[in-house]
Amino acid sequence: MVMIVQPEPSTLAHYAVTAGNIPPIATQIYEGLVTYDWDQNPQPNLATSWEIAPDGKSITFKLREGVVFHNGKPFTSADVQFSFMEILKKYHPFAPLLLAELTGVDTPDEKTAVLLLANPAPYLMKALAGRDLPIMCKSVFEGTQILQNPSANKPIGTGPFKFGQWDRGQFVRLDRNDKYWKPGLPYLDHIIARFIPDAATRSAALETGEAHFAGYSAVNYADLARMKTNPILDTTMKGYEMTPALSVLELNAKHPPLDKKEVRQAIAYAIDRKVILRDVMYGYGKPATGPLSSLFKAVGFYTDDVRNYDVPDRLEIANKLLDGAGLPRGANGMRFGMHLEVNSFGEQWLRQAEYLKQALAIVGVDLTLRSEDTATWLRRVYTDYDYDINEPFLSQGVDPVYGLNKQYLTSQIRKGVTFVNDSFYANPEFDGILNEAMREQDHDKRAVLYKKAQHILAEDCPLVWLIDVQYVSVFNRKLHDHTTGPLGTQQAFERAWLET
Amino acid sequence: MRFARYIGYRLVTALPVIFGIIVLNFLLIHLAPGDAASVLAGESGAATPEYMDELRHKFGLDQSLGMQFLTYVSNMAHFNLGYSYRNDADVSSLILERLGPTSLLMLTAFGTAVALGIILGLVAATGRNSWRDNIISLISLVAYATPGFWLGLMMIVIFSIGLGWLPTSGFDTVGAGHEGWAEVWDVARHLVMPAVSLALFYLALYARLMRASVLEQTGMDYVTTARAKGQTERRIMTGHVLRNALLPIVTIAGVQAGNLIGGSIVVETVFGWPGIGTLAFNALQSRDLNLLLAIFFMSACLIVIINLAVDVIYVMLDPRMEI
Repeated sequence: MVMIVQPEPSTLAHYAVTAGNIPPIATQIYEGLVTYDWDQNPQPNLATSWEIAPDGKSITFKLREGVVFHNGKPFTSADVQFSFMEILKKYHPFAPLLLAELTGVDTPDEKTAVLLLANPAPYLMKALAGRDLPIMCKSVFEGTQILQNPSANKPIGTGPFKFGQWDRGQFVRLDRNDKYWKPGLPYLDHIIARFIPDAATRSAALETGEAHFAGYSAVNYADLARMKTNPILDTTMKGYEMTPALSVLELNAKHPPLDKKEVRQAIAYAIDRKVILRDVMYGYGKPATGPLSSLFKAVGFYTDDVRNYDVPDRLEIANKLLDGAGLPRGANGMRFGMHLEVNSFGEQWLRQAEYLKQALAIVGVDLTLRSEDTATWLRRVYTDYDYDINEPFLSQGVDPVYGLNKQYLTSQIRKGVTFVNDSFYANPEFDGILNEAMREQDHDKRAVLYKKAQHILAEDCPLVWLIDVQYVSVFNRKLHDHTTGPLGTQQAFERAWLET
Repeated sequence: MRFARYIGYRLVTALPVIFGIIVLNFLLIHLAPGDAASVLAGESGAATPEYMDELRHKFGLDQSLGMQFLTYVSNMAHFNLGYSYRNDADVSSLILERLGPTSLLMLTAFGTAVALGIILGLVAATGRNSWRDNIISLISLVAYATPGFWLGLMMIVIFSIGLGWLPTSGFDTVGAGHEGWAEVWDVARHLVMPAVSLALFYLALYARLMRASVLEQTGMDYVTTARAKGQTERRIMTGHVLRNALLPIVTIAGVQAGNLIGGSIVVETVFGWPGIGTLAFNALQSRDLNLLLAIFFMSACLIVIINLAVDVIYVMLDPRMEI
């Protein structure tokens, strides 16, 4: 089976780098303690059962018997301990959020591992899949420099496929793990992840049947309409239920007049999200209603009962707000000028920026677009803070803790760190709610807290939320059972099979 | 013997040039804002300051520029191109595995362009204003004006999607396990479209240049003299005109051969060809300085060698020139 991964990963060190192009390959090799069913409930995987202590401060996992790593070493609780404490806690980029409460891992016997927590961490049970917190083999890493370990690019895990070969610039080959612990699985003998830098050629490779699967919107939205008419291909939007993401505008509150709430709200009112959805995203996605992706509706955290910026008289409101903020139109019809930093991760962002320039001109905000390469752009925005408006794309993780905490908490104003609170939002009341929700064990109480938090954010408008992103997978009709759970492309193709 | 000494002399004098290039590249690269740690962290979505400090320490970015430079030069002196932290691999192995496909594509495309360009130019010039001259001139004008990436995409549409004759992209059929001649055939099938779309522009250029050059030479006095001596037109063409007409082609080809390493990013991208151009581009984008410097260094060496080769070819073509 040939799948397209775009762009080529720079490394397969899944435990230390969380770029979105690594999991489609790495999750075939590394597994997590649990996996998730379509309702996002944890299901046994490397752990057969688990129990959360009544005070929420420890989780006891019973581990599966008879699991071996690809190097032949048996999987035991020592591997769990080492993976969590020595690798993930120290080097995983999300550890400061997901593993902040983790203080240790007890291993009373070979097949029992107890995660010890300083405070309850209800979000942790959502993040134990191989995509988020993978389990590595202790003997591979012990006594080595973790970040320089040779297994970074020759990963060794317990998963259904073993690492075979990586020809840089071309492909990664994965081979069937004959000793996989699920009897009879996987069905495929090989998975080949191909890297084709040009979008049109990627589409062509699918159309000719050279490649069978392209997840994570590796195919341009513009090409999808044509793909759908191809009799050998089909598309699905399933498999992204645990991959919520929003496209947004970040407004630098240190740069007047963006320090005024009314001005930020006016910008939010001035944009017609339906135009972006239709012309930039080709209809894939939904207009964003607030700071949380609507995918969180399934678990009860999402609400759209917040200030609605998508109302029929939005332009009048925007103009009124700007007038009220003491920003009258000048001779050329413009009230003030701002720079918009164009996202460097693809052409669609330039198109969105072009629309934004027109949309904001209507209410008298004169945008100048600035396109720079990725390194320059990231430095300007997150280190130098030398920006007015930025158009990033924010993935929201498996729990609101992830997306909300890093983006809006006052403590997340961290110079030089990318994709955290760079809009200088600071609201003690909001911080309090988020910190409470982080430790609240009762799901319904958590939901109430998060709804309150969304309400406050929508009112303060530190960011403008544009599109609730929907990814698409394109696949050859001969490929079956490829998307078997909510993690989709980011979980193993253990049951996939190819018609001959 | 004199020849060998000349080449030795040229190579020795090239050393300070290459050292100068190393210094200049190093300084230029450090002028670019942003660093590898922030790009890596940016792709990861989030990171702690401690994690980024650790990355910078690992990459050696926490040292002073002078120290970094000294480390770099001393590595180079030991023929150690360094380590690409972004790719978790040795720079030399990263470059080596791309060198084969790049050379194959470049030599095929360049060889075809030069050889066919010379022949077409000659054919056009000898039948000036005839139908074959007009056709060749028209085709070369179109080829000269067509962007390579567009041509590449059109070929994919026609030959891969439409007719199904050629594979869309890649170096060979992954996992097919071909060996021997089957593998050669497989690679050749993958090579056709990238090589053609890369070669066509140069081919047009050389055809036009060759035509003009031949026409210019046929008006020279020595051609009249040769005719007066009673030599056949064929002999005049191959023995006298061709050698003189080739000089400008060698000059231009020598200059353009230097472009070859970097000049194919577009074609590499369209056809997913694992070449050095995309490697360099990605290294630049991610501020992978060790890798980028090594590629620059290699290009510099290559250009020195090509210049030398051009000078040697001059002497072979034109005995009047001295070394």
